[in-house]
Amino acid sequence: MRHLHVYAVVLLVAFALVYARVVNAYWIHVAIVSMIYGILAASWALLAGYVGQFSFAHMAFASLGGYTSALLVQWYSVAVPLGMAAGLVLSALFGSLIGWVCLRMRGPYLAIFTLAFSEIVRIVLLSEHQVTSGPAGLRVAPLLQTPSRVPYYYVALGLLALCLTVMGLVVHSRWGLFFRAVREDEEAAGASGVNVVRAKILAFAVASGFAGLAGAFYAHYIGILTPELGSSDQMGLVVAMAVIGGLERLPAAVGGAIGVETLQEVLRSYGPWRFVLFGALLLLTMRFFRNGLLAPAWQRLLEARPVGSVLTSSREVRKGHRA
Amino acid sequence: MDYAIVQTLNGLGLGIILAVIAVGLTLVFSILKVVNFAHGELYMVGGYFAYYTITLLGLSPFPALVVAIAASFLLGAVLERSLLSPLYSDATERKAEYGILITFGLAVALRNLALILFGPFPLRPPSFVIGVQKWGPFTIANDRIVAGGAGIVLLAALVYFVQRTTWGQALDAVSQSRESAAIVGINPRRVYTLGFGLGAALAGGAGALIAPIFSLSPSMGILRDTQAFVIVILGGMGSVPGSIIAGILIGLAESLFTAYFPDPTRALSYSNAFSVLVLIVILILRPTGILGRRHVQME
Amino acid sequence: MNQDEALVRAVRLCKRFGGITAVDAFDFSVRQGELVALIGPNGSGKTTLVNMLTGHLNPESGEIFLRGRRVNGLPSFEFAALGVGRTFQMSQPFRRLSVLENMLVPGLTRPRSTREATAACARVHLKFLGLAHLETLAARNLSGGQQKLLELGRALMLEPLIVFLDEPFAGVHPTLRSEIIERILELNASGRTFVVVDHDMEAIQRLAGRLVVMARGRLIADGPPDRVREDQAVLAAYAGV
Repeated sequence: MRHLHVYAVVLLVAFALVYARVVNAYWIHVAIVSMIYGILAASWALLAGYVGQFSFAHMAFASLGGYTSALLVQWYSVAVPLGMAAGLVLSALFGSLIGWVCLRMRGPYLAIFTLAFSEIVRIVLLSEHQVTSGPAGLRVAPLLQTPSRVPYYYVALGLLALCLTVMGLVVHSRWGLFFRAVREDEEAAGASGVNVVRAKILAFAVASGFAGLAGAFYAHYIGILTPELGSSDQMGLVVAMAVIGGLERLPAAVGGAIGVETLQEVLRSYGPWRFVLFGALLLLTMRFFRNGLLAPAWQRLLEARPVGSVLTSSREVRKGHRA
Repeated sequence: MDYAIVQTLNGLGLGIILAVIAVGLTLVFSILKVVNFAHGELYMVGGYFAYYTITLLGLSPFPALVVAIAASFLLGAVLERSLLSPLYSDATERKAEYGILITFGLAVALRNLALILFGPFPLRPPSFVIGVQKWGPFTIANDRIVAGGAGIVLLAALVYFVQRTTWGQALDAVSQSRESAAIVGINPRRVYTLGFGLGAALAGGAGALIAPIFSLSPSMGILRDTQAFVIVILGGMGSVPGSIIAGILIGLAESLFTAYFPDPTRALSYSNAFSVLVLIVILILRPTGILGRRHVQME
Repeated sequence: MNQDEALVRAVRLCKRFGGITAVDAFDFSVRQGELVALIGPNGSGKTTLVNMLTGHLNPESGEIFLRGRRVNGLPSFEFAALGVGRTFQMSQPFRRLSVLENMLVPGLTRPRSTREATAACARVHLKFLGLAHLETLAARNLSGGQQKLLELGRALMLEPLIVFLDEPFAGVHPTLRSEIIERILELNASGRTFVVVDHDMEAIQRLAGRLVVMARGRLIADGPPDRVREDQAVLAAYAGV
């Protein structure tokens, strides 16, 4: 089966299109939230897994995108899609700024800085409750005027597809190679002519922009927005999803998000113990399966070749792709 | 004027406790070369250790403090052995990333575990010494004095340990060069476990000391974690004296800021934001801290 | 030396780290087609000098000219774009990328480069370096000497005017060492300019037409090998260390 992964993707897409028609509203909701997290996990994976920028400001950007869109719609009666676009743009701009500020910061310092930035954003959103309604939650205008969730499902699907397409194009272009070079060895990348500055800022811009978009869609879907979206716990959830799925393959990160979110719903009866499970799962995956749990499976799909063809070369390629 | 003096003294006491937390963090960094994003959670767990030792085992606060410190040490050692060992294996690549992700994951896991086991509502253990001291116009809670004093004792004990005992000097040796220490016959693995355990013990002790004053909640570690980062970076990663000085400064800043911020409803939140802002400014201007030892790369 | 002919020219370069002066008022020129060896006792500042001449460090004072154009303060990737290639003292290949991908990275930074053309060019270089059969192997699985050759290949993909080799023979197996020497000589014969930093005097002997000696951050001697070897200052510098 030469292009096994193509068949798998086609099957998946077919399943996704039909899904909303066959399940009840509750599971549609789960799917929508999963896809939102999918965008968040994949965009974080782009930043962390490809360029090696372990930023903990990601959910802060989701939050900023959400509040920007919600408030623009509320104050200036902007059409919701336009508000969402504004959320994306603002997050992308702020993301680029943070990327620029962090240019010379190495791993742990970048992590600390972005964590600190994220905290400030959360604190300000919480405290300025005249504007944001603080912890009580801001009422957000809905994206679609429909009682059914099904249209939201297709919008989410569309946004996820958009996200994966754009990021996929970046990743398969020479910039994808440059990103990976920067993560492997920033100094050597510079010596090889890679514009490290542009690479980092580009990655931040794209990742943060999509985070903002996801946050905005989330706000206009759920109808209420709190600063909790930008909390450390949410960031941890997205990190867990990306790591468990696989940091270095965007589809794997999405898979991780869908898997974790679905698992969360399935285990809802166990109450807060689910979060401990995810924490443990994250730790176990990091400790023993550093590439993620889904990425190796996806890799196999990509490598599947007709029997008799060069099995040795596929082993060598695998040597190149394993962490 | 009296108010200012009281707030300053409170700030000093808080600062000493913050210094204890920060020294734990900087110790872990200088020995294991890893930034522990779960340090605030170890502080939180220490506080709960003390609380439950008092309420479930019926011990009085001072012995409970000792138990909390010992239990935190053990917890730290266990976590180090189970989660951090890849940091010392040459087979692990990109150790810095691993350290960041695994300690961040640990922080989230511990917070949620605490949420389940202890519930979300704040708990307050009984005071170490009930009552207040009144010196003329000044009133200071006894617990704050205890916290400050015990903090100083802990710091002094640590300094003595590092400078005068064999194990302590082994810690110092490993923090400077892992290879040289191994050549001289020190087993680095044990030293790492000791180092992380000590860091956890300091954090846990601080948690136990501060609990009667500020009470306990599962997310109390987040704020102190951020403050610990500010302190450690301000004082220089790996520098114990730097952390102590910076800790006291930040403690003073927080107390005075909270006391004098014009809008009382926002005072506490923005005093947190203030330390965070300081951190951001420092990182932008001097990413390697102010008084630091030479920042060692991890690979 | 006619200053207009110089490919790379450094004027009174200085670099201090804390209290230590690593490079002190260093003047240095390289002409097109030369093969210069930069030697000196450990700690003499050779790598610091190379780092400044390739954009990885900013000099405290002094200036650097590339083909007459002032370039100090530019980041390393600008130096690379202008044709300055380098290898590292401790091999720094892109470990998890394949050998071919390692070559593609610098190749694709060239303007108007396409993937096909760059890959073809990369394969030519890999064949020249004897690494062609390892194309799909992850760089971290190469031996030390092979990694050094790969780094040379990476530098070549930049179509460089000049290549700085920082200890290309350190820790390399003797057979591979000869390989590397041969490759450098061939490339130099076809017009590439090299500055080689190393301690391996045997290799330096076979390679260098010009020897530059550095000690404690200063220029001690600069000239053909026979003359430099007799130089009193050089002998003193090595004896004193």
